[in-house]
Amino acid sequence: MPQNKTHPQRDPFPLRVLDSATQGLNVLGSALILMLMVLVGIDVAGRNLFGKPVSGVPEIVTLSIVAIVFLQIPQALRAGRMTQSDAFLNWLNRASPAAGKALATLFDLAGIAVVWVIVRTTWPIFTRAWDRSEFIGALGDFTAPVWPVKLILIIGGAMLILQFAARIWRRFFI
Amino acid sequence: MTPFEIGLISLAFMCVAVMLGLFVPIALMVSSYLGVWAIKGSPLLASKLLALAANDAISSYFFGVIPLFVLMGFIVSEAGFGRDAFDVANAMFRRLRGGLGVSTVGANAIFAAITGISIASAAIFTKIAVPQMIRHGYSSRFAVGVVAGSSVLGMMIPPSLLLILFGILAEQSIGDLFLAGVGPGLLLAVFFAVGIVSMAVWAPGFVGHPDTGDEGQLAPAQFFAKGAPIAVLIFVVLGGIYAGVFTPVEAGAMGAIGALFLGFVMRRLTFARLWNVLVETGLVTATVCFLIIAAQMYSRMLALSGVPAGLGGLAANADLGLWGVMLIYVAILVFLGMILDSSSIMLIMVPLMLPVIIPMQVDLIWFGIVTVLAVEIGLLTPPFGISVYVIKATLDDPDISLADIFRGAAPFALIMLAVLALVLIFPSIATGLIPGH
Repeated sequence: MPQNKTHPQRDPFPLRVLDSATQGLNVLGSALILMLMVLVGIDVAGRNLFGKPVSGVPEIVTLSIVAIVFLQIPQALRAGRMTQSDAFLNWLNRASPAAGKALATLFDLAGIAVVWVIVRTTWPIFTRAWDRSEFIGALGDFTAPVWPVKLILIIGGAMLILQFAARIWRRFFI
Repeated sequence: MTPFEIGLISLAFMCVAVMLGLFVPIALMVSSYLGVWAIKGSPLLASKLLALAANDAISSYFFGVIPLFVLMGFIVSEAGFGRDAFDVANAMFRRLRGGLGVSTVGANAIFAAITGISIASAAIFTKIAVPQMIRHGYSSRFAVGVVAGSSVLGMMIPPSLLLILFGILAEQSIGDLFLAGVGPGLLLAVFFAVGIVSMAVWAPGFVGHPDTGDEGQLAPAQFFAKGAPIAVLIFVVLGGIYAGVFTPVEAGAMGAIGALFLGFVMRRLTFARLWNVLVETGLVTATVCFLIIAAQMYSRMLALSGVPAGLGGLAANADLGLWGVMLIYVAILVFLGMILDSSSIMLIMVPLMLPVIIPMQVDLIWFGIVTVLAVEIGLLTPPFGISVYVIKATLDDPDISLADIFRGAAPFALIMLAVLALVLIFPSIATGLIPGH
């Protein structure tokens, strides 16, 4: 994102808080990837060396992959890594900076709108999972509750919305 | 309006939005939302489709392959195995005319067998191979062209993130796809090498005047010390998958653990660098998986609209035949490769094409290899070849312009086109290694 370079020292307080929180989620997500690697490694070792697989590994992988993505995606946007073909925007920014800003802002608003739809519609999925204590796995062997992942999706989505809003803020006021 | 028309309009809307610079996953999500709303007349249904895809699309054990193989790729890059691959290849090929160029191709082929991302190869070998080639008398244009061209091997030779993505989209075995990538990948490497030697002999104006390098000789012990860790990693990951010891997910984890272990034992990794690797892995995983989620929404919307089935009908009626369809498909992929990154192209095009292709009794493994090859050609072609931009950014040398890199890469794009044609004509180059095919 050439149009918003990082100036942490010049960012106002709310944006610095947002960035720290985003980075916090990022750290959690990275730790989760490491855990995934270790867990699968233990499973392989258990099965091949001791003839006994560790139960629950597939379930944990299934749940954590969704968590990893939604923990990291706000930081991916912040770091300018979300997939984009920016040639036209770059050209527009040179040709008419005002039009470039307007179009980029429109795009950020589209992001806010569509992620809001996802978060809003995931909320009832979360409350149902919480109320009914939904789980995955097989009773008696290994079960894991589903609600933490739904909650992470909502938190990650909300942070993503805030990061889109922060892009607009930085574009016009900093 | 019929659902079919709505589907076509949302498709066109998505393409325009992406070209104007809307984030690709957001463009896919917005067009799916509006498309479903218009088809079903219900914003509530449209929201549900989005939320369900966000919750379920990647919620499967299988998707563990993505972070684990990306992690392994970044660990081997950070631990300097790219340098080892280059030294080993250089020791083998240094006596050839254009030897350093051939070594770069060889190093990329070796490195590709332990990593699955082209962009990583392009960045690493820009740092290692380009300065060395220029010092030995190669023209800078040719040096960067070799690196750009051979970096595509990373996506062809297994493990490969793109083949994993295709396997997910088309529900094909990742192991089979990996096996099918070996033939075309090696063929590409051999053609690149032959191309380099012939250009060194017949087009010295383009290649420059390399001195006959006596540098780079390795004593057998050194050769072994540099080659063995890589060989072990290749053996663990690919051997593990084919012997049936590991699932692809487990192979990714074991590869990452192995690379981590070797990196620390050989004192090439520190905890601080490991942390950078983890953060980087997280960002790549999130970007790719977010795209997958968005692409799932979009393909569910397309399925509702009947566009893929309609296109299949059109193709059948137009009597294009398999060849007509494949040629048009390849042309579109190469074109899109000029403006978009490889994963986006695959996630957009494959769901659209599968219903067209499946009634034609096509081998989907072969179709996957053709897709990846065609997409990767776009990485080398102007105006927006991504590999070329990575090289330019890594190089940070104002004397070498983007145009230079594109010109240098042009012969390699042509060679890729030739290999693609061969794979189209002789599918067994790809599928021959797979048992039961």
